[in-house]
Amino acid sequence: MALNIPCPFCGTRPYTEFTFGGELRPTESPDLDADFARVYHRANVAGQQQERWFHAHGCRRWLTLTRDTVTNRVG
Amino acid sequence: MAELTRPGLSVVLCGASPDALDALVPPGHGARTCRTAPDEALSVCPAEVAADVARELEDRVAALDDDAVVLDVSDGWTAWRLTGPDSRDAFAYASRLALPDEGFVQGSVAHVAAKVVVEADALTVLVPAYWHDHVRERLIHDARVTEAIP
Amino acid sequence: MATIDFEGTQVPFEDGDTIASALYRHGVRTFNRSLKYHRRRGLYCGTGDCPNCMVSVDGEPGARSCVTEARDGQVVERGTGWPSPDRDLIGITDKLHWAMPVGFYYKAFVKPRFAWETAERIIRRATGIGRLPLDATPAVKRARSAHTDVLVIGAGPAGLEAARAAAAAGADVIVAEEREVGWTFPPGRELDALRRLADQVRALPNVELREGHTAIGVYEGPTVPLVAEDALVEVEAGRVIVATGAVEAHGVFPGNDLPGVWLGRGAALMAARHGLGIGDRIVVAAETEEGLMHAATLRAAGSQVILLAPTALAERALAGVQVLRDARVLEATGSKHVTGVIVETPEGRKRIVCHALVLSLGWAPRDALLRMGEDLPVEGVGDVVAPVGDPPLGDGGYVCLCEDVGVHELEIAWAEGWTSSEILKRYTTATMGPCQGALCGLHLAAFAAARTDQVAVKGRRTTARPPVRGPRLEDLAGGVHEVIERRTSLHDRHVALGARMDRSGAWMRPGTYGDVAEEIRAVRERVGTMDVGTLGKFLVAGRDAQTLLDRVFPTRLHDLAPGRARYLIALDEGGYVMDDGLICALRDGRYYVTSTSGGADRMEAGLRNWADRWDLHVHLVNQTAELGAINVAGPGARELLGRLSDDDLSRAAIPYPGHAEIMVAGVACRAIAVGFVGELSYELHHPRSRGPELWDALLGAGADLGVAPHGLDALDVLRLEKGHFFLAQDTLPDDHPAKLGLGWAVDMDKPWFVGKASLERMAEIPLERRLVGLRFDGEPQRGMPLEAAGQIVGRVTSCARSEALGAAIGLGWLRARNGGWPTTLRAGATTATVVDRPFYDPEGVRLRG
Repeated sequence: MALNIPCPFCGTRPYTEFTFGGELRPTESPDLDADFARVYHRANVAGQQQERWFHAHGCRRWLTLTRDTVTNRVG
Repeated sequence: MAELTRPGLSVVLCGASPDALDALVPPGHGARTCRTAPDEALSVCPAEVAADVARELEDRVAALDDDAVVLDVSDGWTAWRLTGPDSRDAFAYASRLALPDEGFVQGSVAHVAAKVVVEADALTVLVPAYWHDHVRERLIHDARVTEAIP
Repeated sequence: MATIDFEGTQVPFEDGDTIASALYRHGVRTFNRSLKYHRRRGLYCGTGDCPNCMVSVDGEPGARSCVTEARDGQVVERGTGWPSPDRDLIGITDKLHWAMPVGFYYKAFVKPRFAWETAERIIRRATGIGRLPLDATPAVKRARSAHTDVLVIGAGPAGLEAARAAAAAGADVIVAEEREVGWTFPPGRELDALRRLADQVRALPNVELREGHTAIGVYEGPTVPLVAEDALVEVEAGRVIVATGAVEAHGVFPGNDLPGVWLGRGAALMAARHGLGIGDRIVVAAETEEGLMHAATLRAAGSQVILLAPTALAERALAGVQVLRDARVLEATGSKHVTGVIVETPEGRKRIVCHALVLSLGWAPRDALLRMGEDLPVEGVGDVVAPVGDPPLGDGGYVCLCEDVGVHELEIAWAEGWTSSEILKRYTTATMGPCQGALCGLHLAAFAAARTDQVAVKGRRTTARPPVRGPRLEDLAGGVHEVIERRTSLHDRHVALGARMDRSGAWMRPGTYGDVAEEIRAVRERVGTMDVGTLGKFLVAGRDAQTLLDRVFPTRLHDLAPGRARYLIALDEGGYVMDDGLICALRDGRYYVTSTSGGADRMEAGLRNWADRWDLHVHLVNQTAELGAINVAGPGARELLGRLSDDDLSRAAIPYPGHAEIMVAGVACRAIAVGFVGELSYELHHPRSRGPELWDALLGAGADLGVAPHGLDALDVLRLEKGHFFLAQDTLPDDHPAKLGLGWAVDMDKPWFVGKASLERMAEIPLERRLVGLRFDGEPQRGMPLEAAGQIVGRVTSCARSEALGAAIGLGWLRARNGGWPTTLRAGATTATVVDRPFYDPEGVRLRG
């Protein structure tokens, strides 16, 4: 599989320079039940997904991007 | 032909807000200041001038950001320098990074996180110090550089 | 005299011979037995596109002999057939065709169950092309990267012209050619012109022409890996031009796979390049201009040629060639070799006796790379994008030569319900062989398209995927063949002391210096040193430092004064313990955080993520590499340090748990009072470059105190005696703090921290599993199940014999039974008793010293 990730600071690099951080999710929830869903349930869409990636081999900062999970195209 | 040497370099880290770093006049003394992240800059300089570089950074950045930090992090980095007409060619055996004619780039070299300072006649590869031996091995075996014994 | 060793016989060859031409000259006609039905196969395409000529060369299978140069001393074997390809007893399977229809292995040998295992073994031995040299030593290949504006794949006329045009427009160009320029061309004017063009292109300053570089795929970027003899070259291109040309269309009719049936170029190359006649009387079926040329070549080589051609082409046939207008091949006949052809003519069916049948029925573009690059800046030039008509698909014969799939097999599969090209491919394995559909891809799509009205979905070409040529694993492993080691600055010291160095995650660490029991004794009775430089270490500064740490960790922080330290656990959002370490409060609102060696990268990424999400102003410096750390532990620790330091080392100056900046042997250290091994300890964090001198000073000054270094093996016992867990060894991924007895390390009064909501939810659920301390009356083994009343209720996760305690102790996880916790268990043949932790010095008197 080949996937290139556009780091806003360093430029486009192969995904092997990054650590994947999963779907973008809120950091908090209003109550305990909502928190369970926030932590464990994933939207897991077939289509555009907002995701977190960490540029481990470069700037070592996080970025959020949109990737189409069906075509694997970014942006 | 590409030769491998270990220059005696110091690395001074400056952590400050993106605006402050944008406005910061980089220190002199022959230091090369690399913007490694929106909120971070690393100044690479000969070891003899490290203290001067750090002082200059502290003075300049304090005026721009009162919450900035300046630290000599030299021990955290190991530098390997490639010189000679074939150094770019040799580098291609250790990395997929496209090198600018001059400047700074960071990414995967020998499969680890590295910072590369590119000058007209030399490439300096900086990696976290615990990969000192690993990078040397890969540059000698894959890039087939010749290590200059001091 | 140059020879190749062919199955024990020395076969001579001439200059310019390929292995195929040398063997053909020697009289070999059967080059292979097909994969499933063991049918005889002979030379066919002559250009390296089909599987028929594959042989083992010097032990390595899968070489296409028609494009492999013959070299003196090569050892060549055919890979199939038993006892030989010429007399193959397994050929009986072809007669038993009816018992082994397509996909039979999905339905046969289901009952009894052992039948499949036996059948599978037999089937595996009877099929395949060649044997893998499993005891061969793989070559170490390198990988290199290349960056270019334009990559041209294929140095034929179209590719070289495209390269010249791109270079003239100012682009940097790389041209990758699989073999040598012109290798599919017979000697003549065209080849000479091509070579001249290649020389011109080579001379251009911004063009690199690389022969012997095979493009195996097109990936996003676009990035194209090229397999070359000594390295894998990964080319990142601005755009890619595919100029791989086309192979002649594969003819499908009964008897099409008999030796003696050739594609036009293959036959012509034999005659024109190698001077080898393929038969005295040859039928040439031509639907292309090139077919006429092949007919002329064969005629000039001395064969009698009967040409089958449509009227338009027939007009231009060479004199001396007998022509049958508008005749179509229906069947090739013969048993071991072609002996005749049945054709359909306007006048009716005719049977023609012949020694060979040559097909030039159209084109199959080598377009796999082009189709891989559909959404990328990839375009095609030349024959690879020439329009093609319907592939010649009769009502019988072999469609997929690689996998022995005939028209008959496709019909059976379609009738069974596998009604789309993609699923037909997977069920029959058509196009899944060495040629990867180069010959039969169009036929498979056409077969499906003719039988469905959903042509776009069910009748389309199957997805093109890399690799298009089968690379060796050693090629793909280019540049990736060494384990990456992290080392502390004391590495050479450990080696010099004779330590057994172990891989501990990403790090090399000393396991032992020779006598583990003695190392343990040194710590318990005297003083020991350990290199713990591998620990994760972080400086956290900035105005929001405390806010960040307070929210990320469950540890109480607001009352941690400068000079103090506290045990820290890291929870994930599910409330599960994923790391542990220490947090030290420094001056000026800064903190120093340590983590386990293996957790450092995750800790940094995690802290940066939260800082980013909450937009906190922090400066996080990963000091894992920058600082070494040496743990000085034992009753004599203070005495030893006192000899090397003028600083106050008393409990008052360095509280437990706490830290202070001191000088030891002239090295500036942060001394952290820790308790992991259960003795008075000072963990000296120091600049990495000063590590060796600090280590030498400690071992030197402590010689008369009986100082000794210890490694991971000793650490394992020392920490076990204190009941401390090792993450991932004693913990499970769903251990929240209560299961580990770490409730005291969590401040539930904090308004919020990562995982707090999960802990609140789980507090409602009665604990059903916990980590416990165990004392054994025998010799336990790690991993043993723990049983109570004959049922498994847990597992031993760590254990060791403790000299200090005079018993075997351990840790394990334990399930509740009937609402209670069993206390007496069986671990194999031994009895295990659940006991409180720590086992050794329960009051912690020694470490607080």
